[in-house]
Amino acid sequence: MFIINCPYCGERDQSEFSCGGEAHIERPKQPTELSDDQWAEYLFMRKNIKGIQFERWNHAHGCRKWFNVVRDTSNDKIHAVYKMGERPPLK
Amino acid sequence: MLNFNSTIKEEKIFGDIKIAEVEPIIKINLRSKKREFSKKIGKILSILPPTEANTSSGNEGYNLLWLSPDEWLVYSNNKKQSLKEQIDLEDRLFDEISKLNQGAVTNVSDHWVMINFKGNKIYDLLSKSCPFNFNEFKRKKGSVTQTLFNHIDVILHNRDNNELNLFVRRSFSEDLWLWINDSARFI
Amino acid sequence: MSKSLRINKNNFIDQTIRVSFKFNGQKLFGFKGDTLASALLANDIHLVGRSFKYHRPRGIMTCGSEEPNAIIQIGNDPSSTEPNVRATEIELYEGLESFSQNCWPSVNFDIGGINNFLSPLLPAGFYYKTFMWPASFWEKYEFFIRHSAGLGKSPTKPDTDLYDHQYAHCDVLVIGGGISGILSAKLAAEKGLNTILIDDKNCLGGSTIYQEDDCFKINNEYSNKWLKKEIDNLKNYPNLLIKKRTSVAAFHGYNYLLAKENLTDHLGINERKNKIRQRLWKIRAKKVVIATGSIERPLIFNNNDRPGILLNSSIKKYIDFFGVKSGNEISLFTNNDSTYETAISLNKSGVKVNTIIDIRENSNSTLVKKVQKIGINILWSHTIVNTNGYKRIKSINVQKLSADGENVVGKKIKINCDCLGMSGGWTPMVHLFTQSGGKLKFKDENYIFIPDINKSPSDQISVGSCNGIFELDDLITNTIKNIKIFLDLDKTIYDNLNVICSKETEKRNIWLLPSDKPLSKTKPFLDFQNDSTAKDVKLALREGFKSIEHVKRYTTTGMGTDQGKLSNMHALGIIADTTGTNMGDLGTTTFRPPFTPLTFGSIVGRNVGEFFDHIRKTAIHDWHVENNAKFENVGQWKRAWYFPKNNETMFQAVQRESKAARDNAGILDASTLGKIDIQGTDASEFLNRVYTNAWSKLAIGKCRYGLMLNEDGMVYDDGVTTRLGENHYIMTTTTGGAANVLSKLEDYLQTEWPELDVYLTTVTDQYSTISICGPRSKNIVKKIIPDLDLSDANFPHMSFKNSKIDNVNCRVMRISFTGEHSYEINIQSNYAKDVWIKCMDAGKEFNITPYGTETMHLLRAEKGFIITGQDTDGTLTPSDLQMDWIIGKKKYDFIGKRSLYRSDTIRDDRKQLVGLLTEDPLEVLEEGAQLVEDINKKPIEMLGHVTSSYFSPNLKKSIALAVVRGGKKMKGKKLIVPMENKNINVTITDTVFYDKENKRLNA
Repeated sequence: MFIINCPYCGERDQSEFSCGGEAHIERPKQPTELSDDQWAEYLFMRKNIKGIQFERWNHAHGCRKWFNVVRDTSNDKIHAVYKMGERPPLK
Repeated sequence: MLNFNSTIKEEKIFGDIKIAEVEPIIKINLRSKKREFSKKIGKILSILPPTEANTSSGNEGYNLLWLSPDEWLVYSNNKKQSLKEQIDLEDRLFDEISKLNQGAVTNVSDHWVMINFKGNKIYDLLSKSCPFNFNEFKRKKGSVTQTLFNHIDVILHNRDNNELNLFVRRSFSEDLWLWINDSARFI
Repeated sequence: MSKSLRINKNNFIDQTIRVSFKFNGQKLFGFKGDTLASALLANDIHLVGRSFKYHRPRGIMTCGSEEPNAIIQIGNDPSSTEPNVRATEIELYEGLESFSQNCWPSVNFDIGGINNFLSPLLPAGFYYKTFMWPASFWEKYEFFIRHSAGLGKSPTKPDTDLYDHQYAHCDVLVIGGGISGILSAKLAAEKGLNTILIDDKNCLGGSTIYQEDDCFKINNEYSNKWLKKEIDNLKNYPNLLIKKRTSVAAFHGYNYLLAKENLTDHLGINERKNKIRQRLWKIRAKKVVIATGSIERPLIFNNNDRPGILLNSSIKKYIDFFGVKSGNEISLFTNNDSTYETAISLNKSGVKVNTIIDIRENSNSTLVKKVQKIGINILWSHTIVNTNGYKRIKSINVQKLSADGENVVGKKIKINCDCLGMSGGWTPMVHLFTQSGGKLKFKDENYIFIPDINKSPSDQISVGSCNGIFELDDLITNTIKNIKIFLDLDKTIYDNLNVICSKETEKRNIWLLPSDKPLSKTKPFLDFQNDSTAKDVKLALREGFKSIEHVKRYTTTGMGTDQGKLSNMHALGIIADTTGTNMGDLGTTTFRPPFTPLTFGSIVGRNVGEFFDHIRKTAIHDWHVENNAKFENVGQWKRAWYFPKNNETMFQAVQRESKAARDNAGILDASTLGKIDIQGTDASEFLNRVYTNAWSKLAIGKCRYGLMLNEDGMVYDDGVTTRLGENHYIMTTTTGGAANVLSKLEDYLQTEWPELDVYLTTVTDQYSTISICGPRSKNIVKKIIPDLDLSDANFPHMSFKNSKIDNVNCRVMRISFTGEHSYEINIQSNYAKDVWIKCMDAGKEFNITPYGTETMHLLRAEKGFIITGQDTDGTLTPSDLQMDWIIGKKKYDFIGKRSLYRSDTIRDDRKQLVGLLTEDPLEVLEEGAQLVEDINKKPIEMLGHVTSSYFSPNLKKSIALAVVRGGKKMKGKKLIVPMENKNINVTITDTVFYDKENKRLNA
């Protein structure tokens, strides 16, 4: 159980949050113009890194806001937390 | 006239803890990202929506709880408010905010059940199943938090030293009430 | 047991209160303050169990959580008996009943003991090698293995004890109430920090609290006297919470720890009623101080496992703390100075110490000198080559060690003794540090792994002997120095302590001591509980196992309930020596939680019985109960399933309800459907993007059915959405999907389309929904809301009206999930029960019938309406459901649109929704049953399965929905549903069985 510093509410227990997987995968603006392969790339392909990973989290049982987290998946250390639309740090 | 049927209708005392449902209470959910919103709310309720996270504002009549940067909960202090007065307030807010595209106004009076907790050990009781750290919260009158209590979503509003209001969804309220009654025996 | 092994002195046992208990049926006595182990030893009982594999007699070996042998079954009540309890950890209480495990028929005569003589046939990996084949025999093997491998017996009835949970948040958590822990807790409390101090024993002070000797002094007082005053003084700190009888089970990331507090296990059975037995503390600490101390190591020599062989420090604790002599003629075997403390204690209590066998060449510390002065015989550079005695040690054989320590030389000496102590040095308890993610480093001079402070994963520190510092003066100085840095302290109350202690200068470590016999003829036990020997480890290495993790699993070393606390280090040492590897490079096995076993009860807490899962109820629930409803779980909701009358079966009740709903009027509590209030200037555009069909042109006051997909094109949820105003909609979702739909929609709004001006608010609990359907529903609604014009012109199908019932606002929708003319009344939940009762009263003359979810499912199946989650399973597209009509082909985009023409989703042979009729109209199919075409083909080809199936009282025949590969083009085709004892012939049909022209909607 880690502690996540919600950019809106502050530090809260992990049980208040849900994880939405890898961050910065933008939904294509014009899906109809994509080939099957291109669409599949968006739809299915995820990196699942061991190490520093950019993730989406939702403060589901708090303010309900989505935001991004930079987490080291090997030790759960959270290096940064930033709001949706903000520039990712370190990247 | 239709009969009003709240879920709990009880008041219980466990040692120094007193818990009781407080209903009917009007509750209105407010959403907005617009600048004019705050002013309009101020005009209708005579209180401004708090912008600081985990806080509330209030006066004799109403409390305004911060829920997220664009969401607030209004609830009344007056159990005796008539249904007509409640509807009038909802309509005024809806007309000024929703209809003028300044945000969203939604009546949630029956969505939430409000339970009042009083006593020295209420935080020990909550901490039986609440991962939230109350150390700051309990020191600051007016503090607000949304968290999980026995895995159920709740909103907590610090009313005073060792007194708080808890909001739980109606459908979960009886379950949570029974759980609280069970656990409070061991405080 | 005539000879008294109890001495008459000490401050820890209340010798005025006698406690009776039973061990294997024998009634015995101990004193208040005893553990079961100390009470057994006081009764001269060493033999308490049999070993796991060879069934060798085993005795109490330690006095703590590392105990490998004294594993006991407590109690014989089928609801509260507890297996695998360490006798060393359980406090004695009046009426305690205890039993040996792993022996049959008794601990004194154990049939499995024959395994001891067969042991050459039972090497490491024996079970893996032998019971491999034939595979079909495994079940037979398992039966015998389970019976001979005697783990304790589980309770057979539900646990009647009470358990509880508690979260705690503190500034500093100190784990361990020994001298380092006490100093740390006091410094933290003195600084005003919120501090919790946890100790697993009932008495704080660790081993120092009974260390009364002039070799150990603090500020010119005996160390125990000084520490006692410090402990007494702790109660003056209101910011310090002390939890005794509490053990930390797990140290997770972010300083989140679980600790189990024992509240009643030490009380007599009669004093426990209505009290919490155990409380699981969930602690979030800003800083953690680990002061868990160290565990004494055994020595690995031939037959080192006989009853009567204990660790030296345990012999000391039994005599100094419990006042119990472990024997009357004791020999001590060691490689370090701490053993001499035991000798001094024994001597002081009048117990004869025969000989001390020390593998070192000499030692000149003050402790050793004191022992020499007493006149105890010390054999330097000697080792034990064998021990004798089956159920209790009788004598030992001793020989001189060669200079390199690999052989023995000279004459064998026999020494008689009824108890042997052993000490191979000390192992720091680094388990919690590594559980939290910390990495260890090897300290060569002590042969120990200690926490690497540079590889500490969180804000924590290890102090005292768990940090590899063993001597009192160093330990105190170091603890204070480190805590000062850790807690950022300037000056402390402990800055000028004067500590005197004996210093150890000589060290010698031999992981596997030699014998006069070859290794293959000896039994040097490593893991006492799992019966693995040094031989087994060497065999594993010869067979090619290299990784320590593999050797562990192959030999089962360190896999008992003691988790290798005692002798993992020796296994590592032997591997390192044999393979010529440095121990630091070899590393350790992984320490996983729990550090000590947890009960299931403490893990579950109060969430048992009625609190096992949440129960959500609608506002009308009580009426359903009063009217004899049977309930169905839908997610966490209790939904009325059917309303049996008189002695109706479920089938009869559902048939009656279904018929009544079509013939007259039915009423359903549909309150559990998810409801989302949607407001904002872009609400219409938002709906366009989330549903497959078009929404911009929906007029205010109208309703529309919508289908929601995932991005992969598969149907996710469905429901009716109503336009309440220009920029105001109310969406309904399925009962089970409510929370997920809201969260998914919020996700899109916040992350993909932040430019949209839309707000979502859940109102599921705000409104209750009463659905009235059937040809006479109109008459009933007319009576309830007389002012509402119900004519088709004013209030057509798929429209909504704002209205009032008495003084309460309500929304009435004319929508239908049954195919009948029907209305849904949505009203604030606190008035819903009253409205429902009004409807029942008003409907009496129209024969209104309440129905539940089963009838609802039947009625919609007659109409071929899907239920997402029943007829769909996340692998069906709208086209697969034959719902192509709902796809807004002209829309530029919506969630999942692009996936609808991926190569995979346009295949013809996808599973598609069809209707099924059985050849025999009375034959009702089982939901989930498979569909096949050719019953003789092998392997039989499964084409699909039945998703919904009912007997329709309105059509007087069996109907079903199914998904079938390529089903769309198979109308009229005959298939077979093969069942256990018959094959059922079915024909594929259209999905709509009843009123295909939808005439009844406007009837």
